[in-house]
Amino acid sequence: MDKQTRGERNKRSAGDIALIGAMVALIEVSKVALGFMPNIELTSFWIILFTLFFRWRILFAVPVFIFIEGAFYGFGLWWVMYLYAWPLLAGLAWLFRKQKSVWFWSIFSSAFGLSFGFLCAIPYVVIGMTDSGWLGGLQAGFVWWVAGIPWDIAHGVGNFVLMLMLYRPVCKAMERASVRLSLPHPRPKEEKK
Amino acid sequence: METKKQNSSSKKVILGVAALAAVIIFLAVIYNVFREKPVEGEKSITIEVVNQEKETNDYQLKTDAEYLRQAMEEAEGLTFSGTESEYGMMVDTVNGLTADYNANGAYWSFYVNGEYCNNGIDTQPVADGDTFSIVYTTE
Repeated sequence: MDKQTRGERNKRSAGDIALIGAMVALIEVSKVALGFMPNIELTSFWIILFTLFFRWRILFAVPVFIFIEGAFYGFGLWWVMYLYAWPLLAGLAWLFRKQKSVWFWSIFSSAFGLSFGFLCAIPYVVIGMTDSGWLGGLQAGFVWWVAGIPWDIAHGVGNFVLMLMLYRPVCKAMERASVRLSLPHPRPKEEKK
Repeated sequence: METKKQNSSSKKVILGVAALAAVIIFLAVIYNVFREKPVEGEKSITIEVVNQEKETNDYQLKTDAEYLRQAMEEAEGLTFSGTESEYGMMVDTVNGLTADYNANGAYWSFYVNGEYCNNGIDTQPVADGDTFSIVYTTE
C-alpha cells in the first residue's frame, strides 16, 4: 500500500472539506430552485447519489445540510423530522449501495417520497401521546399523515421521475468527478441491456 | 442465458413499478376514506383570536365556507395575512400582530374545538358549531 505523505493527507482532507461543502451547496441550491413546486425536490436524489459516490462524506454533508435548514427556516417541529428522515435515507441508500439499476433507484427514491409524511408524523404521535396517551397519540399522527397524503403522492411521483431522468447522466458526471478528484471509483457501472 | 437474465431483470422492474402503483392507489383510498371532509350548507361557527397579552377577540358568524380560510375572510373585523406555500397560506399576521419565528420563536397556532389543528387554513374543513382558536404562541 502506498504511504501518503503529510502534504498529500492535508491535500486530501482539504479536498474532502471542499467536496462536502459543494455537496451541501448543491442540495441547498436545488432545494431553493425547486421550492415553487409542491413537494418536488432534488434533496432525496442528491443524498442517494452522494451516498453512493462519496460514501463517508455524506456523514458530514447531511448534518450540515440539516443545520443550515434549521438556521434558515427556524428550528421548529419540522426540523426534528429532518433529524432522522434524511439520515435514514442516506443509511438505506448505503445498505443498497451495490444496486446499479436506474429502475431500482427510481423505485427506492419514490418509496421514500411516498413514506415521507408517514415518517414525519412520528413527532405528532409523540406529542399526542404526552397529552392523551397511546391512542390519542396514534390518532393525532394518523390524522396528520392522512391530511398530507396528496403531497406524499406528489413527492413519490416526483422522486421517481427525477431519478429516472437524472440518474444516468449525473452518474456519468460523478464518475468523471471521482477520477478528477482521485477518489476511489465506488460505483459499478450499470449493466448494458 | 443472457436473455434469461434480462427477462428476470425486466420482471423485477415491472413488479417494482406495479408495487409502487399499488401503494399509491392504497394511499389514495386511505385519503378518501379517512380525510376530514368539508360540509356543505350554512354553518354557525366561532373564531377566537388570542393575542400575546392573552386577550381574546371572538368572531361569530354564519357561513357557507367549506374551509377555514374562506370563513376567516368572511369574519367581519378579522384581518390576516401570510405567505403562500405549497400547503396553502402560512399565516404570520393576525389583526395587525405579526408572529416572527426568527425573532422570538413566535407563531400563530390553530386549534379546532380545543384540539391542535392538523391542516392548513386552506384545507381545514368547517363544520357547524366549530370553534376555531388562533393563538399567538411563543416557544
